[in-house]
Amino acid sequence: MTTVTKSTDFKVEVTDKVPDYNAAQRIGRRLWAPMWLMAIMAFPIALIIGAARANEIANGGSEATVSSLLHVQAGIMFIGFAAVLAAISFAIARILGAFRKGGGEIQESLGADVVTLRMPPTARVFMMGMMIAMVTLIVASIVHFAWAASVSTGSVTLVESELAFVVLEAVRRLGVALYLVAITFGLATITRVLRFQAIRVRELAQLT
Amino acid sequence: MTYAADARLRPSADADYQAPSVWRSRGIVIALLGLAIAVIAFFGNLVAAGQSGVDQASTLAWTFGVTTTGFALVKTAIAVVLWGIILKLWLRADSIKASLPALVGTPGADSDPNGDVDTPHGKAVVSDRAPGQLPIHKMAKRMFRPMLAMGLMAVIVGLIISFVLAADASSTAASAWMQGLQFLGEAMLLIGISFLLGTILWAIRTAGGDVQEDLGVKVYTPKMPAPAKGFVVLMMLGLMLGIVQFIGYLVVAGGGADAASNLAWLAPLREISVALILSGIALALVAIGNVLGFQFWRIQSLIEAGERS
Repeated sequence: MTTVTKSTDFKVEVTDKVPDYNAAQRIGRRLWAPMWLMAIMAFPIALIIGAARANEIANGGSEATVSSLLHVQAGIMFIGFAAVLAAISFAIARILGAFRKGGGEIQESLGADVVTLRMPPTARVFMMGMMIAMVTLIVASIVHFAWAASVSTGSVTLVESELAFVVLEAVRRLGVALYLVAITFGLATITRVLRFQAIRVRELAQLT
Repeated sequence: MTYAADARLRPSADADYQAPSVWRSRGIVIALLGLAIAVIAFFGNLVAAGQSGVDQASTLAWTFGVTTTGFALVKTAIAVVLWGIILKLWLRADSIKASLPALVGTPGADSDPNGDVDTPHGKAVVSDRAPGQLPIHKMAKRMFRPMLAMGLMAVIVGLIISFVLAADASSTAASAWMQGLQFLGEAMLLIGISFLLGTILWAIRTAGGDVQEDLGVKVYTPKMPAPAKGFVVLMMLGLMLGIVQFIGYLVVAGGGADAASNLAWLAPLREISVALILSGIALALVAIGNVLGFQFWRIQSLIEAGERS
């Protein structure tokens, strides 16, 4: 016997009117562009600093300057990565918003109950993972700038600076991995929404 | 029009639209595996911070290779979930196609003539038949599999080299090969993901056209939005830089240049190549959001203009 899955087998909310975007979707719609622009500005700046550092090395510049530029370049580059991965996450939230609003408007225009999927656990993991990853990358970048300043003023040794770089690099990499996993969960949420809508639209046809 | 090769990009005829996506579950498992590998490398790096000299260089060599492999696994997971999205998009389109005649009733007459029109969701083209695919769609559909496969292979070869380097940390050539190959692999994996997003845009466009044509109404197709154009440019630029950084590392591996200064600019260059492709991916997702908004608007206008008995 074939089991029929109904839209109400999902965790849903039923309303008369189209529900508004949720907070994450509103933020996603507003912030994807500023984040994207911030990333696009950060990357060339990091590349220029990398070239300046290469020039210092080639010309036998001071080791403190070379070490300081390494921290500055990594800090700016990973602010760029935090921003571009945020732009991707916000764009995914924006897609989820398009499904929520568009699906609701179609149901409302038919005069049917507006059945909307509640936020699935994958979406919660997506948001939490994204926030932890973003904070990790930004904090690591700020600490890079602090070390760059300390190396320039001579308050720390070059060896200490190098060790700090190794630790911060590990933290940054973990932050990026976490961000990518969060994005996977965001995309997994889209798959669930598509399945829900495929079921709901057939129900609407039976109702009319 | 259905292309023979496109059959591999659609769910099988007996696929159940109600069933959960197996690709979604597989993707999540692979992503968590990738994260676990990255966490192992993270602790390895912390150990390296307490080491010095050859021991430190050796630990940093294998942690670099292992971390990048962890990233590659998570990117593979993203590709797997995107594949699941493509299949679910088709099943949703089938549901819409089956339901729309009942939802619309007798379709209202479209007032717009064939050609370009402005809609609340940007410019669109009105035609009698579903439009064909764009050149970028053809390329995306053909290339996502080879790119993902080549990317994974490059990262795995780089991982093996990282273990070789861990055994002899003084080898500049091995270090250059490892970094160049692994970042070329990462760039290729991201290009594979970009092509999958291009395939999703193709699926939405094709399914949207099919649904309208099947209903016997004029076909409204959104024109390629600006974010989609930016996506293509950034993707190509990122791939080119990925190849340039790889060549740069080959030059260093050959010993023909000042290694220290060249490695200093190659490190940010390899990251820029990945960053540009990621910037393009963000734009592709924005374009997908725009096209979905357009399609909901079109379905709603058909329902509102139709006469249900």
